[in-house]
Amino acid sequence: MNKNRIALTLGIVCVILTIAICVQVNTIKNANSTVSKTFAEDELRDEVLKWKEKYERISNELDEAEKGLAKIREESTKDDSNSTSKEEQITLNNNLLGMTNLEGPGIEMIVEDDPNEIGPLDDIYNHVVHDADLRVLVNELKNAGAEAISINGQRIVNTTAITCIGNVIKINDERITSPFTIKAIGFQESLVGIDWRAGYIQQCLRPAGIVVNIKKSNKVEIPKYTGVISAQYMNLSK
Amino acid sequence: MNKSKIILSAIIGIICTILVCVMYMQFKIVEETDITGIEAAREEELQAMLSSWKTRYEEIEEKLTETQQKIAEYQEKIDSNEQASELLDEELEQTNLLVGKTNVTGEGVVVTLKNNEEKSITASDLRTLVNDLKLAGAEAISINDSRILSMTEIVDVDPYILVNEERIISPYIVKAIGNPTYLSSALSLKDSGFIDNYTKLGKTVEMEQEKNIHISAYNNSKNQLQFRYAKEVKE
Repeated sequence: MNKNRIALTLGIVCVILTIAICVQVNTIKNANSTVSKTFAEDELRDEVLKWKEKYERISNELDEAEKGLAKIREESTKDDSNSTSKEEQITLNNNLLGMTNLEGPGIEMIVEDDPNEIGPLDDIYNHVVHDADLRVLVNELKNAGAEAISINGQRIVNTTAITCIGNVIKINDERITSPFTIKAIGFQESLVGIDWRAGYIQQCLRPAGIVVNIKKSNKVEIPKYTGVISAQYMNLSK
Repeated sequence: MNKSKIILSAIIGIICTILVCVMYMQFKIVEETDITGIEAAREEELQAMLSSWKTRYEEIEEKLTETQQKIAEYQEKIDSNEQASELLDEELEQTNLLVGKTNVTGEGVVVTLKNNEEKSITASDLRTLVNDLKLAGAEAISINDSRILSMTEIVDVDPYILVNEERIISPYIVKAIGNPTYLSSALSLKDSGFIDNYTKLGKTVEMEQEKNIHISAYNNSKNQLQFRYAKEVKE
């Protein structure tokens, strides 16, 4: 009698655990159906990696070349004040365009999806950071006089779009994901104002459980844009 | 207490531990699946990534050649003890153009948004439009002749919209220079494009492709294009 009861309990426990494992395995299969690889996909993946590496290599090469150009430009203008002023304007332009690394006083802000468990009746959609949220924050920083902004290392330049495909956010055609680190250089008191002023963070993000932490820093480093800004369709007006 | 019972409980305990461990490992794997990584990307995504990397590689390759050429030209001037003013002028003109300090012309689209009796245009509408235009490759954008640069804010200050600290009002004329086909097809995508989305909301939006669009230079005496806080990092 007693033995039967034990056997029964044992059986039930085993069944429950087995079911749980099956569910898990299935979830993983779905999540990674991609990793569960067809041959063609593997080849593609290798190809993507190869091009990414090639890109990174040539990108470093360009880095060096640009430094060389800046140096030789400076050298060739050092004896002539007119040329020197032109050289300075070119350097400023390159800074404005986002083609150089910048540093200065400013803020660093971390924005993160709601870490709490989402209730069964609630929609996860309401508790994650969307591309639209990042656009609003960037706009508020610009309004507060930011001179340069980056999100997860992606510099905001003239041609930067912030969008999403599915649940992945893309900036400058690069995929980024929560937590988002937004850096801005500018007048600190004005920049931190986006936190306490009755703005988007207070009214929309925090009520949704999104975690936002802002801290001042006297040395914010903002990396350069790694893409190319070019003019193929616009011409100087004559 | 009998011996067989103890053995039995021990076995149950061991089985449970093993099963729990397996589950834990499973959870770990799920957590580690990185959605931004290329390991998790599907075939179409991989194709898109591949073509994006290729395009970017080509762009940067071209830029590299250009840069190396400029270095060589400067070197030549130095070697022959000549002034490099022509080279400087050329670079200055090119960077002024890219920054937005000059008037520019080119083909593209003009989008007009108007307040109607029921719906007004908000700063957020304009920001969405600008973002869509940039995604479609716009090289220069202006709203009511205020040039949109990388640090340009677009905010509501009732009853105006503020762009580059300048007040603008309806109708809002958004000009964009770029590939006109890309620009217009991105905006007029059926059901999900900007025009359909905002027309559905009852807002007045019109778009036209144009061959010869003029966009004026950034021109704001209050806010000069220079840095007060940011400095270039030089190694």
